[in-house]
Amino acid sequence: MKQSVVILLHDTLQSIGIREILRDSFGIEALCLQSVDEMSIDVTKDIDCFVVDNIHFLANIRFFLPQQTRTLVVTDVPLPQAEYKQITPNDTEQEIVKTLSTFFEQSQEPQAQSSVLSQRETEVLILIATGHINKEIADRLGISLNTVLTHRKNITAKLGIKSVSGLTFYAMMNGLVTPH
Amino acid sequence: MKSFINIDSKLADIIINEPSVVTVLNRFGITLGVADKTIGSVCAEKNLDREFFATIINTYINEDYFPERILSSFSASKMIDYLRKTNSHYEQFQIPNIERHFHFLISKSDHANSNLGLMLSFFNEVKSELLSRIANDNKHWFPRVISMEQHTPWAIDSEIDGFDEEDDNIEDKINDLVNMLVIHLKGGVDNNLAYAVLTSLVGLKKDIRQNNRIRNRILRPLEQALAAQSDKT
Repeated sequence: MKQSVVILLHDTLQSIGIREILRDSFGIEALCLQSVDEMSIDVTKDIDCFVVDNIHFLANIRFFLPQQTRTLVVTDVPLPQAEYKQITPNDTEQEIVKTLSTFFEQSQEPQAQSSVLSQRETEVLILIATGHINKEIADRLGISLNTVLTHRKNITAKLGIKSVSGLTFYAMMNGLVTPH
Repeated sequence: MKSFINIDSKLADIIINEPSVVTVLNRFGITLGVADKTIGSVCAEKNLDREFFATIINTYINEDYFPERILSSFSASKMIDYLRKTNSHYEQFQIPNIERHFHFLISKSDHANSNLGLMLSFFNEVKSELLSRIANDNKHWFPRVISMEQHTPWAIDSEIDGFDEEDDNIEDKINDLVNMLVIHLKGGVDNNLAYAVLTSLVGLKKDIRQNNRIRNRILRPLEQALAAQSDKT
């Protein structure tokens, strides 16, 4: 299946390199962007995969969290977010092609939706982890208290974590909040 | 549900069916190497109340079994004596055991894996809550209930209030920690060592759950009944 891929890298040469590899080895015409903001919500849902550098990734982690299986990170140092496929710029072309190939295969497998948080649930989780109570979360996100409770219930069901401390540690483990 | 034990049940059979019961037997001074002793013979040897001992073991091995009527018939001081032994077992054995396994797992795992360090921090939070509960038990709650039972005056303090909620917190947090390990563990870890952390945590989780049932459904109502009785007199 032909993939729709967005490349989001600060380094122009890396960006061109990945685009060429995708074209030569996979027949994919990727779209190179400079910022996540260039993608509208309508466009995002039609994208199959993202190739992103660690700077864009960490700066937009809330955006990428629900896209775990669809995101490949280009990074010099391994990121703790081990569930994301990662490549380093020093990898050989052969290694990069191999990683991309596995990545495309995995991204096409049906996602275990039950364990992946939606973008809204991620926002709620971050607010819980930063010490906000339900009423404050509702005010911040402009949603009702009942909706906050539903999100919390879903977060607990998906992650298997109920306590505020447990959710806070989970958020730290996934780079959503900084350990204090 | 597992079969119930009685005074003729052999300790060896009980342990083989449910090895984690060893942690409870330890509190009564019973260690491995039980030969062909039965519940009855070991109780006679150790001078233990047979019915109390069998009830505690039955509620431990059958998680859905909780004979409130039978448990309520025992004295508060007998219940407290068991809870003290349980607390001391957490402090001296179960908590250090989990810590030891955790440190060993972290030392043998991929250092880029920050996941385990945070799990250990979470465990340390649970540990300090549990230790603070034990300190409160020893300093306030247990002496107060014993003095009520013995009809001796006690100093009223407010520090025990709200501990029902704390019991639930500890149980929830240990459960979260078990789920974190099972569902969210990342990176290169030694599976055998991770399994050792998991089994020690699951053992503590089961123990805390049983302990909380005794605390909240037996000792707390008993305390309230003693308080109501003393109000009348």
